[in-house]
Amino acid sequence: MTKRVAIVGYAQSNHQYDMPVPREDMVFEVVRGTLEDAGITREELDTIISASTDFLDGRTISGVFYGMAAGVYLKEESRVEEDGTLALYYAFMRILTGIYDIALVEAHTQGSVFNPHQVSFYTLDPLFDRQFNLLNDIATAALQARMYMNKYNASEEEIAMVAVKNLTNAASNPHAHRKMLDITLEEVLNSKLYYDPIRELTMSPISDGACALILASEEKAKEITDNPVWILGVGSCQDGYIRDRNLHKLESLQKAAQRAYEMAGIKDPVTEIEVLEVSERFAHEELMIYEALGLCREGKGKVLIEEGITRKYGRLPVNPSGGALGADPVCATGLIRVIEAAKQIKGEANGYQHPHVCRALAHGQFGLCAQKNVVFVLGGE
Amino acid sequence: MPYIKEERKETLSVEGEWAYGAYEYKANKLLDEFCQGLKERKLIGSLCPSCGKVIVLPRAICGRCHRKMTERTTVSDKGTVLSYIVSPPMVKGKYKMFGVDPVELGIVKEGESLIPANVRFDGSDSPFNTLILNAKPEEVNIGMRVKVVWKKELAGNLSDIEGVEPIRG
Amino acid sequence: MPRPVAIIGCGQTKHSSRRRDTSQAELVAEAAWNAMEDANVTPEEIDAIVVGNMQGFGGVAQPDLWIGDWIGAPEKPVMRITTGGTTGGAVAQGGYYHVASGLHNIVLAVAWEKHSDSKEAGAVTGLGHVGFGAQMNLLRCGMGTRGFIATAGVGAAAGVAVYQAMHYMHRSGCKIEHFDMIAAKSRRNAAKNKYAHLQWPDCTPEDIAKTEMVAYPFRYGHICPASDGASALIFAEGSIARKKAKTPAWIKGLASITDEENQIMSESGGGIGVLDSSEQIGARIAAQKAYKMAGIEDPQKEIDLAEIYQPFPSQELIFAEKLGLFDEGKAWIALEKGETDINGRMPCDLSGGVLATNAIGSAALQRILECALQIMGKAEEHQAPKKIRTAVAHGWGGSTNYNTVTVLGASLD
Repeated sequence: MTKRVAIVGYAQSNHQYDMPVPREDMVFEVVRGTLEDAGITREELDTIISASTDFLDGRTISGVFYGMAAGVYLKEESRVEEDGTLALYYAFMRILTGIYDIALVEAHTQGSVFNPHQVSFYTLDPLFDRQFNLLNDIATAALQARMYMNKYNASEEEIAMVAVKNLTNAASNPHAHRKMLDITLEEVLNSKLYYDPIRELTMSPISDGACALILASEEKAKEITDNPVWILGVGSCQDGYIRDRNLHKLESLQKAAQRAYEMAGIKDPVTEIEVLEVSERFAHEELMIYEALGLCREGKGKVLIEEGITRKYGRLPVNPSGGALGADPVCATGLIRVIEAAKQIKGEANGYQHPHVCRALAHGQFGLCAQKNVVFVLGGE
Repeated sequence: MPYIKEERKETLSVEGEWAYGAYEYKANKLLDEFCQGLKERKLIGSLCPSCGKVIVLPRAICGRCHRKMTERTTVSDKGTVLSYIVSPPMVKGKYKMFGVDPVELGIVKEGESLIPANVRFDGSDSPFNTLILNAKPEEVNIGMRVKVVWKKELAGNLSDIEGVEPIRG
Repeated sequence: MPRPVAIIGCGQTKHSSRRRDTSQAELVAEAAWNAMEDANVTPEEIDAIVVGNMQGFGGVAQPDLWIGDWIGAPEKPVMRITTGGTTGGAVAQGGYYHVASGLHNIVLAVAWEKHSDSKEAGAVTGLGHVGFGAQMNLLRCGMGTRGFIATAGVGAAAGVAVYQAMHYMHRSGCKIEHFDMIAAKSRRNAAKNKYAHLQWPDCTPEDIAKTEMVAYPFRYGHICPASDGASALIFAEGSIARKKAKTPAWIKGLASITDEENQIMSESGGGIGVLDSSEQIGARIAAQKAYKMAGIEDPQKEIDLAEIYQPFPSQELIFAEKLGLFDEGKAWIALEKGETDINGRMPCDLSGGVLATNAIGSAALQRILECALQIMGKAEEHQAPKKIRTAVAHGWGGSTNYNTVTVLGASLD
């Protein structure tokens, strides 16, 4: 099945803490926005996949009450309960079957409704880990950070450099939540300590936000736009639970990337991909992501950040949009990365556009210590 | 009940009590608009500028047209019963709903049934969920004409509508 | 046309009100391993996994991240799909799309529910939380305990299916006695299904009629249980399916249509636009699409057996009509004539259906699973005597506005 599928339109909200509107309005705006961006009507959609979770939305079957806002009336619709990149993967598969031509993918979370860090506590094994009442996503990330730092001699400064890069980058992104143009290394290292070494500014903010994009099969894509962004490859992989896997590296991301590269025909991501948008919930994760994506050898992530290779206009920019440290509306985060990567290819990333982007990579994750990962490789004509 | 029961050995149970913590839900302001109307015995519905459908209680978005229901209109306080439920006659101490006893709370008299219903007010295209009052279960039928029973002292909140009762005569 | 996909294995656990002999992880693993064994596949051969349950009821968020290790998830793509009552159907359809897309060849789809782990008094009260935020807003606007209890309290006990049932009875002539018949049939059928929950071998309509009225027209005996249990399917692409299974159950057509909210309220406590929740336009459209894809023009003649998602007896009649298996308003007459019995023209829910077994996440997947068993000839004691060539499985959920329809067949043509 060598069908080609492209992204033909997208929209995202201005992510912030405590948006003064309910989910319904937020979702409606981005869905209307992406339909307008693609220049098609709701009637032309064949299927809709959304991403949100019951725990974060605060009610069971949370898809019911925002469905109409997402444009699902009498449509083939489903909902994945995790990161938006999984919803994109599902919509991609639906179009590949040939049964559908045009799909809408939507993802959102309002972190201000129920603290996502508290929700993460409920993802812990109820029989053992939860009984100790010690862990949550930040605490487990701290354990992971320490393991990584000890094994590869990475320092807190090197991790903080990631935060400085991304928070500064976010300042040029109109949609980002946490924009800090003049942030310094000292300020990051002196920000509030949560669980050593995780600090306020080395972890993502709690954001409210939504985003949506439209996929189309090759034939329809060419009718809709002159500038389709093709999905060249995708890979998804889930790691074992925190106690049963290696925490010092992101093995599931490595496998997901391998699958995506193979499908896209990428042999060397460093020379063949121009921009990367990754979901780094914690600054140290970005260093681990560099290694898992094959941008450098194991343990050498710090070299890329030290030498400025991954900065906004560096040789291999990572997260010119500011990444998850800039805005983290949980379920929407990964899908926003896809949109930001597509923007770079289309030349629409005003203020942080990398010149001549032909191939871009987008990454989404979910679960404690980035337990599951999805990688998309996108390409222009 | 003569159902087949299977005996299984119970394994170790690990107890845990974790408070879910407070959710801070967001809502739109449409219900507040509706409540304002109640002060004047007005039932305000939202109107879709595209398909003309009227929804009471007002809602923000018309799913069929995928448009905001930006317009408002007033519907009659008389309507038709679309469907209803008849509870068994209430007995004190026998039924608990959300942890409270409806007879003890004074919601219903001993021996009486609760009759929640979906009512379509004239001019509206939606079912309004309320209670049928001052009627015996045998008298209620689908298609019955009813009118709102307003609270004597209107406060501008949802309790101003006590229920609906049959239009007799 | 998508590439052919078939179910090559089915696995279930025994369903009961409290499976205190197993943890959530072990329960899910039981079904998953049973399915792999039935399909003759090893965990290494599985390319991807699709999972689903209603996480609010079991008290574990994203349980697949924890449970994954029990079902061979590490190093595989795993996708979590949850859509209320149709979760099982959506999970199974997700499994289908994984294979039909060409990206995966053998996929495990598993859905479950373990209510007994949490203090929630079972499925029915838990569902009240669908409108949690909206209900809070109504209370804030002065609805008051009285109004809340009076409208939500009575409705919640028997579910909003009561309003739907009243609409149907009013326009079709169906009576409460027909519900007694369906409930009794379900309990009797369940007694022949070793995995079902409410099993009563010689249950009669009179036995059901003796039970107390919960909210007219539903008696205690008409109401589905809240079950702990899991069920799983293995999907495979055509050539693998032919090697692994003697009679693969081919997926001929499928659809999953979402209507406007059909019950009570919308976001923030606003109103809804559906006047008659028994109309179920979503179910009708889903059935039309699924039949078209399967090449079925006359479902009454071409469908041999149906598994309708019926937590309440009225829904066996309502949805069977929407699926075109009986003329509008006439399903209760067919019931009287015995057409829905094991020997009838249109056997419905020979497994006992959701009326006998309701582990929310898994129930809609079980409808597809039961159709597959009948086609594969593996339904043991509740296997229909006639050859089942084509079967249709249905699921509903949400605010009775989600509908999934899946058509399965013994052969591809």
